[in-house]
Amino acid sequence: MTHSHASNLCLTFNDLTLGYGSHPAVHGLTGDIEHGTLLAVVGPNGSGKSTLLKGIAGLLTPMGGTFVHADACRMAYLPQQADIDRTFPATVFDLVSLGLWPKRGLLGRMTREDRESIKTALQAVGLNGFANRTIDTLSGGQLQRALFARVLLQDADLILLDEPFNAIDTKTVEDLLGVIARWHGEDRTVIAGMHDLDLVREHFPQALLLSREPLAWGETEEVLHPANLLKARRFNAAWDEQAEWCADHDHAQGHGNVHPLPSDRVA
Amino acid sequence: MMLRSVLASSALLATTSLISPALADDPLRVVASFSILGDMVEVVGGDAVAVTTIVGRGEDAHVYEPVPTDAANVAEADLIFVNGLSFEGSIERLIEASGTTAPVAVASVGINVLMTDEDDHSDHSDHDDHDDHNHDEHAHDDHDDHDHDEHAHDDHDDHDHDEHAHDDHDDDHDHDDHDHDEHAHDDDGHDDHDHDEHAHDDHHDHDHGPEDPHAWQSLDAAQIYAANIADALCDLDADSCETFEANAAAYGEQLEALHQQYEAQFSDLEASERVFITAHQAFGYLARDFDFTILSPQGLSTESEASAADVARLIDQIRETGAQALFVEANADPRLLEQIASETGVSVSDTPLYSDWLSDEDGPAATYLAMMTHNLNALVAALVTN
Amino acid sequence: MSAYDFLIAPFADYAFMQRALLGGLLIAFSAAPVGVFLMLRRMSLTGDAMAHAILPGAALGFLIFGLELLPMTLGGLIAGALVAAGAGLVARMTVQKEDASLAAVYLISLAFGVMIVSLRGSSIDLMHVLFGSVLALNTQSLIMIGSITGMTVLTLGIIWRALVAECLDPGFLRSVSALGPIVHFIFLALVVLNLVAGFQALGTLLSVGLMILPAATARFWTRTALSLCALAVALALLSVIAGLLISYHLAIASGPAVILAAGVIYLSSLLVEPRWLVLSNLPKHRHKVA
Repeated sequence: MTHSHASNLCLTFNDLTLGYGSHPAVHGLTGDIEHGTLLAVVGPNGSGKSTLLKGIAGLLTPMGGTFVHADACRMAYLPQQADIDRTFPATVFDLVSLGLWPKRGLLGRMTREDRESIKTALQAVGLNGFANRTIDTLSGGQLQRALFARVLLQDADLILLDEPFNAIDTKTVEDLLGVIARWHGEDRTVIAGMHDLDLVREHFPQALLLSREPLAWGETEEVLHPANLLKARRFNAAWDEQAEWCADHDHAQGHGNVHPLPSDRVA
Repeated sequence: MMLRSVLASSALLATTSLISPALADDPLRVVASFSILGDMVEVVGGDAVAVTTIVGRGEDAHVYEPVPTDAANVAEADLIFVNGLSFEGSIERLIEASGTTAPVAVASVGINVLMTDEDDHSDHSDHDDHDDHNHDEHAHDDHDDHDHDEHAHDDHDDHDHDEHAHDDHDDDHDHDDHDHDEHAHDDDGHDDHDHDEHAHDDHHDHDHGPEDPHAWQSLDAAQIYAANIADALCDLDADSCETFEANAAAYGEQLEALHQQYEAQFSDLEASERVFITAHQAFGYLARDFDFTILSPQGLSTESEASAADVARLIDQIRETGAQALFVEANADPRLLEQIASETGVSVSDTPLYSDWLSDEDGPAATYLAMMTHNLNALVAALVTN
Repeated sequence: MSAYDFLIAPFADYAFMQRALLGGLLIAFSAAPVGVFLMLRRMSLTGDAMAHAILPGAALGFLIFGLELLPMTLGGLIAGALVAAGAGLVARMTVQKEDASLAAVYLISLAFGVMIVSLRGSSIDLMHVLFGSVLALNTQSLIMIGSITGMTVLTLGIIWRALVAECLDPGFLRSVSALGPIVHFIFLALVVLNLVAGFQALGTLLSVGLMILPAATARFWTRTALSLCALAVALALLSVIAGLLISYHLAIASGPAVILAAGVIYLSSLLVEPRWLVLSNLPKHRHKVA
């Protein structure tokens, strides 16, 4: 089920710069992301992966450049550290059912159908029978599964995952990768910040190598070429107070702008 | 020649003023602790004194917080008057802290002190008729006021005071200061002192000791106040002493006249009619003077809170005594009394009573005499003309 | 004494007891669920802070209108709302957390209030006049409590989902809806409303106590937000009834009696509740297979 979505772009970046204070964490990113892309954003610590995802999620205002988010691309965002109050008296069911918010809003009644979908989602993430467990009794892996179930329910077109497998057990990682594959199969766009390159090679067809500036973007194998990785390793994440102010960005001059290579989309 | 006489007369004047500084015109700087006392001092002292008060008109001494001006006034005073009987709490500390060298005169010395018996609470309820205390037992200093056994339902015999048929007052005000309460009354063995055990929980408001400080509510005691004030002033300014004593005497006559006047007005009241309801425990002396019984929710005062039992008891008593006069106090929260009034069908008097402070100068209780007249008129209106 | 005499007679015989019961029951329905959320958001001390924070509003009301309850209450409401909103804004927009921001703002407010009172030169115990007692509920107070209860229950029903989401995972809520901050401030408004009305009608102890103690007790027993609210309401109702009866039979001041009743329930729960440390340190007996 491949079809070209060349005109169906979910996201477009134009020399996007995102950061904190006056220092950029993502500097000068240009490119598009089509519907159905499964992209891993990789790079050393502090390279801007989280920042990029936050920017796309709308939590950060760009310091420079723009990005365009297509309306038809509804988004779900799973941050690296969920801001969840684990001591709040809620069950897994309660937590996961939050995913229905886009559909039901504040006052919409939960239908039987909704309850079924919640159960189905729990099954899909391997949390059968956990519906009535309180969240303070969950392990890290179980909580992450529950959060994935919530994302499932959100039925989003664009799914942003920030380091979803940090400190998670292998079995959970496997299962959740299966969920991601399923999303990809459903033609949803998934962008995940990842630090485990092996996982990326195995499961993600596309990758974007960031070290503040985009170093490579395209097919995973090419992006993760040793030469690129070497360049990335030399990256210095520290903010440089002595750095010069950036002159007006010129697309043509580029800061090492990188565009995604045209590729045959393979299902 | 001219110059010589001018010099001579100036020298004479200078010498004279050096010799008799007391002849100088400056009035004595006197500080009174609260407005009522201040008014009395002004009457007795006349032009010879300049009075400032610490707790002014409309202010509640129980919650008063001194300001720096107070300390300054106290420090510079020639004489300070306080009420005594533990009325001034923080003000005494203020006086000490100010480092003043002025003498402190206690206005209430020598009066017939009334003891408070606030604690007894509901215990009364169960007693029926006990004449618990025959006063005799209470060898409490000097009150032989009435001990009316509180729960007399029918027989009240103890009162020597006359026949107040007070049923049970659980008035804290004590007419009978000494405990009537809880002690099972047959053993009159107790003498009042047991009272004291009832620790005055509710005292907080006033932080009073066991003695009721509101002595100024008695016109008789006020005469003693005036005399004490005159004495203190005399100690300081012997030359004007005659004036002070004359003023005090004249004042005393006015007070006595007032007392007689109202005594007459109340004389037709039966014992059962000499009852009124109010919240503040301040009118004990007034009640003693005129033989009234005051019904009050136990423990109702600036800080403590009533219990449901207290309120129920009071309602019962009001119903039993048929009391018809209920007074709220100026500047207090009237809601509880209003509730009680509506439940018992008693109407709240339009006129609030003044207990611890004078009103503003254009108000109904601008001087002590005005205040007592106002309060007594209110009582007359509620009790006599009904 | 028969059961009737003990339980029913006090209420049957005295109108003031009936009103006290009604007022207490009404406030239980309103204060308890608000208290549950306060507790869950770690804002349990807000009640006491608020009792002090409302002083400048009441003082201004007193300055302008004299010792009248309505202006003082309204003034208190406004002051409380400003303090709550101010503290909330500071917490949301700066690094400061809510406990510190509330403490800072309420202290400033209190100082302001004391200054206003002393400027006027009159030391009437304003707060004493403003704070009522459950035994002195007149019709106006009952109506006020009733309306606030109605408003609170209705509002909580409407914003329930968002309120839970805001407590549970505010980041998520932010990503799907703009309601988060709005709901937060609506909740604060409910807190202030319940507290100020409660103070005026019932006094601080009763008002704050009924908000916090039943909620804290319920936490030992149930695990979901809805059941917490339901249980807290039930416990509050029980405390009101028990407290009024204690006040009647044992002549204990009414406000403290109700709160002590709630306190006894709380302490008993501490000892008995299954997950509490005390019990879990006792030698265990059985456990399930899985």
